[in-house]
Amino acid sequence: MGSIRFDNVSMRFGTFNALEGINLEIGEKEFVAIVGPSGCGKTTCMRMVAGFEHPTGGTVSVNGARVVAPGPDRAVVFQQFALFPWKSVRENIDLGLRNKNLPKSEREDRIARALKLMNLESHADNFPHQLSGGMQQRVAIARAYVLDPSVLLMDEPFGALDAQTRVVMQEELVRISRVNPRTVLFITHAVEEAVYLADRVAIMTRRPGRIKEVLDIKSIREAEQWDKHSRIEDVMDIESFVHLRTQIWKSLREEKGSDAV
Amino acid sequence: MSRRSWIGLATMIALIGIWFLTTATGLVSTMRFPSPRDFWSALHQIATRGYANGTLLAHSLHSLKLVLMGFATAVVTGVPLGLWMGWSRKAEAAINPVFLIIRPIPPLAWIPLAILWLGLGDAAKVMVIWFAAFVPSVINTFAGVRTIERPILEASRMLGTPRLRQIVEVVMPAALPMIFTGLRLSLQASWTTLVAAELVGALLGIGFVLNVAQQDIYPGMILVGMATVGVLGWVTTRALGMVERRALAWNVAARD
Ligand SMILES: Nc1ncnc2c1ncn2[C@@H]1O[C@H](COP(=O)(O)OP(=O)(O)O)[C@@H](O)[C@H]1O
Ligand SMILES: [Mg+2]
Repeated sequence: MGSIRFDNVSMRFGTFNALEGINLEIGEKEFVAIVGPSGCGKTTCMRMVAGFEHPTGGTVSVNGARVVAPGPDRAVVFQQFALFPWKSVRENIDLGLRNKNLPKSEREDRIARALKLMNLESHADNFPHQLSGGMQQRVAIARAYVLDPSVLLMDEPFGALDAQTRVVMQEELVRISRVNPRTVLFITHAVEEAVYLADRVAIMTRRPGRIKEVLDIKSIREAEQWDKHSRIEDVMDIESFVHLRTQIWKSLREEKGSDAV
Repeated sequence: MSRRSWIGLATMIALIGIWFLTTATGLVSTMRFPSPRDFWSALHQIATRGYANGTLLAHSLHSLKLVLMGFATAVVTGVPLGLWMGWSRKAEAAINPVFLIIRPIPPLAWIPLAILWLGLGDAAKVMVIWFAAFVPSVINTFAGVRTIERPILEASRMLGTPRLRQIVEVVMPAALPMIFTGLRLSLQASWTTLVAAELVGALLGIGFVLNVAQQDIYPGMILVGMATVGVLGWVTTRALGMVERRALAWNVAARD
């Protein structure tokens, strides 16, 4: 059963057609990235899965059930982190677990594992303002992972980070996804990031927002054994990687070209 | 001491020097404005022997009590109302029109009605202070809730936070910087209103001291009364500021 499903989804804001005829199915434990120019409706797609927004046509469903409201089965990592500044790192991660009414011992267990997974152990009692942007985003990812969600939604999670931190976080995310695979919908406008992280990449076009094509990355990654390299710059040098990246760029550029007046 | 406080101190000393010189040389008549010596003797008189039914301490404590009662009443009613109006569009729609009509009425205009309802005692004064302090608490709390960044609320909903917990652990702390802005304005309004309220039908309190001193044509005592309100206002504002700094330690924006 597909974990996330867009069924002929459209979205209008007033008279503005933001999305039209979106069809996409994301399988169990599959990592799908959506790339596209800004304003093409990537965030809106994610917000509909999260339950913050409702499509004006078609249906969005998760695990076969139509999405009606936000909930901890669909954890979101926001671009601007959206941590609670008045709560410590531990309390930020704990809130979702308390909401699930889990016993204290299990919560502590899960928090310890999440802190370890994100290398945050020494910062458990810090407050967000005491952490760098990269560290804050680690907390946000830990807060999402700890819920053990069936779906993980990430909207340009590394967009607010500097280039070095961004690379570290991308490598971390790959490491985590291999250890602990999840169904992930990952939004980005960075093509390399999409190719590096995703099993499949969906390319979106603008006005109205549509999915232009979906590329399979996973089969190529496995065939070419990208995972033998732990560093992102080595993976980015592989010919098959370069080829895919160029292919996506061209596809996006055709799009932008048609847009230029 | 920091450079800023040194400059502040220097200004104070200069002002007292000018005060001393202008009154000593007769440039300003001591019938209109007291000399430092008149001020000091009035202060000594009210502090030791008392004036207008009580010592300075008795008057101060009485005024402080009224202010704190009015302020506290305003906070415990105003903040929840502001939260509710911020949280629920329906509550806002229902309450806002009433608010718009009542808001332009100066708090002091309530004095006659307060006296009619509650007599000349303390209750009427507390009520007037409450009215004055209520408005800034409500408005700023309301604005604080409405200006919470959307991702913060969405993060909370995404985590499945139940409603009450969301209000207590997310909405309230997120609005807290604005709530404190409201509390500071409320406290100011409380002191402003107190003095006016005590000018009518009081038997104790700094406003009453001012009233009696004016009837006695006693400039030194008038200045003592004014200075006392200033000091008490400053002390309570400082105390509130300390509470605020503790409560908002997580808020970097408020650091400097
Ligand atoms: N709540 C909204 N009301 C009106 N227009 C919106 C709203 N949300 C998004 N849009 C519009 O829909 C389009 C797609 O937005 P978005 O999904 O944020 O794009 P992306 O994430 O790809 O940059 C944009 O033109 C944006 O202005
Ligand atoms: Mg976006």
